[in-house]
Amino acid sequence: MNIWHFFLSVALYGSLFSVLTLALNFQYARGGMINFGTVAYFAAGAYAYAIITQEPPSGLDQYMFGFGAPWWLGVAGAGAAAFAFAVVTGGPTLRLRGEYLALTTFAFAEVFHSLLLNERRIGNGSVGLPNVSRPDFGSLAAYDTLIYTGAAFLLMVATILLFRRILRSPYGRALDAVRDDEVAAKAIGKDAARLRFQVFVLSAIPMGIAGALYAMVTTLVAPNLFTAEVTFFVWIALVLGGERTILGAVLGTVALVAFQELVRAVPFESVRSAQIAASIEEVVTGLLFIIVLRWQPWEKLARKRTAKCQTTISSSTKSPSASLL
Amino acid sequence: MSDNYLVLDKVTKRFAALKAVGGDDGLSFSIRKGSFLGLVGPNGAGKSTTFNLISGVLKPTSGRILLEGVELTQTATASISGLGLGRTFQTPRVFGSLSVLENVLVGADNVGEGLRAALSGRWRKADAALAARAMELLERVGLAERAGHRVSDLSGGELRMLEVARQLIREPRVFLLDEPTAGVDPMLQKKLGSLLVELHKAGTTLIVVEHNLHFLFEIADTVVVLQSGQLLAEGTPDEIRSNKKVIAAYLGAEHAA
Repeated sequence: MNIWHFFLSVALYGSLFSVLTLALNFQYARGGMINFGTVAYFAAGAYAYAIITQEPPSGLDQYMFGFGAPWWLGVAGAGAAAFAFAVVTGGPTLRLRGEYLALTTFAFAEVFHSLLLNERRIGNGSVGLPNVSRPDFGSLAAYDTLIYTGAAFLLMVATILLFRRILRSPYGRALDAVRDDEVAAKAIGKDAARLRFQVFVLSAIPMGIAGALYAMVTTLVAPNLFTAEVTFFVWIALVLGGERTILGAVLGTVALVAFQELVRAVPFESVRSAQIAASIEEVVTGLLFIIVLRWQPWEKLARKRTAKCQTTISSSTKSPSASLL
Repeated sequence: MSDNYLVLDKVTKRFAALKAVGGDDGLSFSIRKGSFLGLVGPNGAGKSTTFNLISGVLKPTSGRILLEGVELTQTATASISGLGLGRTFQTPRVFGSLSVLENVLVGADNVGEGLRAALSGRWRKADAALAARAMELLERVGLAERAGHRVSDLSGGELRMLEVARQLIREPRVFLLDEPTAGVDPMLQKKLGSLLVELHKAGTTLIVVEHNLHFLFEIADTVVVLQSGQLLAEGTPDEIRSNKKVIAAYLGAEHAA
């Protein structure tokens, strides 16, 4: 693997998983909801894309549905599927607080995973759906990785812009109030349940679209790609980057992806050494996690930026809406 | 009907076996529109619980609470505020991640709190107007210079004033204040007192829980005394001052003789 490939994969997976981290940041750091089922919304998008775009079943296929629809319909369907899954799972659970919500969302994700694994009519069970169809790039087909990287980057930027627009409005302020003190927020008429539900379902849409993109890149959707490990990966990235800031969420994800790609890029002589390296990777990830939790370097950086912006604004202008950074 | 503006009708609240409010018959009293009611009583009398019941933070075990005939006990907590009922808390509850100004600003019902308006950006003009109003209110409670600060920079007394300003931006018709002078220095107390008198003159119905009886009896026109969750006495400040039952409850039976 040369250096160009390395950077390309870091950019591709960094952007793609940043979308998940950003969505989680929106739900958790701003909405105050602990979602430990992140992977399910990602998986719902990936499976929806694969099912919508694949050909109807034939021969040995065990899956029931295939619509042979164009890729853009698949992407839209992926967003819709994640949204629908969020509506179904969020509706009854969002009144739960803290760890209770964490457990319930985790359970929902596990149930969904188990369903994909055992119900062959959805996606061939444990085998998954291979040969996920991709858009036809024509003469640009040789540059497909570059195109997917660009698409992932665009999706990330769109997600950032969407969340930023919402969070910098009075909506974001009301959301902060609800998270800080729900009783006091209700005393000034904030409908905590509505705000939470909207944030939960809205942030599922980019996660689903990221799932579709992931399916295109890997050309395979299978249950073992969508385990709780993905959820933990995204959570670690969020904590690494320091919650509450968009830049932090992206930096944390990119750093974690870069580290994993770096380990993968090391050439190994034997299977044994590769296995050892894989174990070391996990140990070092854990160590990094502890170190970052102890010193929180990026969070400090982000805080400094915010503090600086706020002093400038409060001293220079009387327009307070601008201070909602 | 203005005599029965806000009505508590046989309200009880139990926490497990503890009868916090209402005793056996339930707590009943009503408040005139535009009155200035002081709610007093020894610690544990159920004053704050009564506030929590009126504002919907707690739902009563039995009984009804009505504001202009609307049953608050059947209304969602967030909607009670929309009926024009504002309150402060015994321990100030402010929003730690927002600035002082934003804490007031967030009190208002803002068009930008709808998802569609937030996305379309059609909230800036309304928000700027509200921000100007919030600055005026901060001026009124003496916090204008702190507008850009974090709330963690404020003292306990200043937090109380911030809570008052956050409710005032909603222009409540009924305003419940829970121990507004606790931890507030004499200068600020004076400011608060005249602010409450102004609100009263402007027609706001005020209900104030307060241990500082000197402060309260100067400005309230009616006083309700609670003891062990039950109504002990009701009357003008002068009547209450000379009521033997009240003196006994507050200072001990030997003072009442």
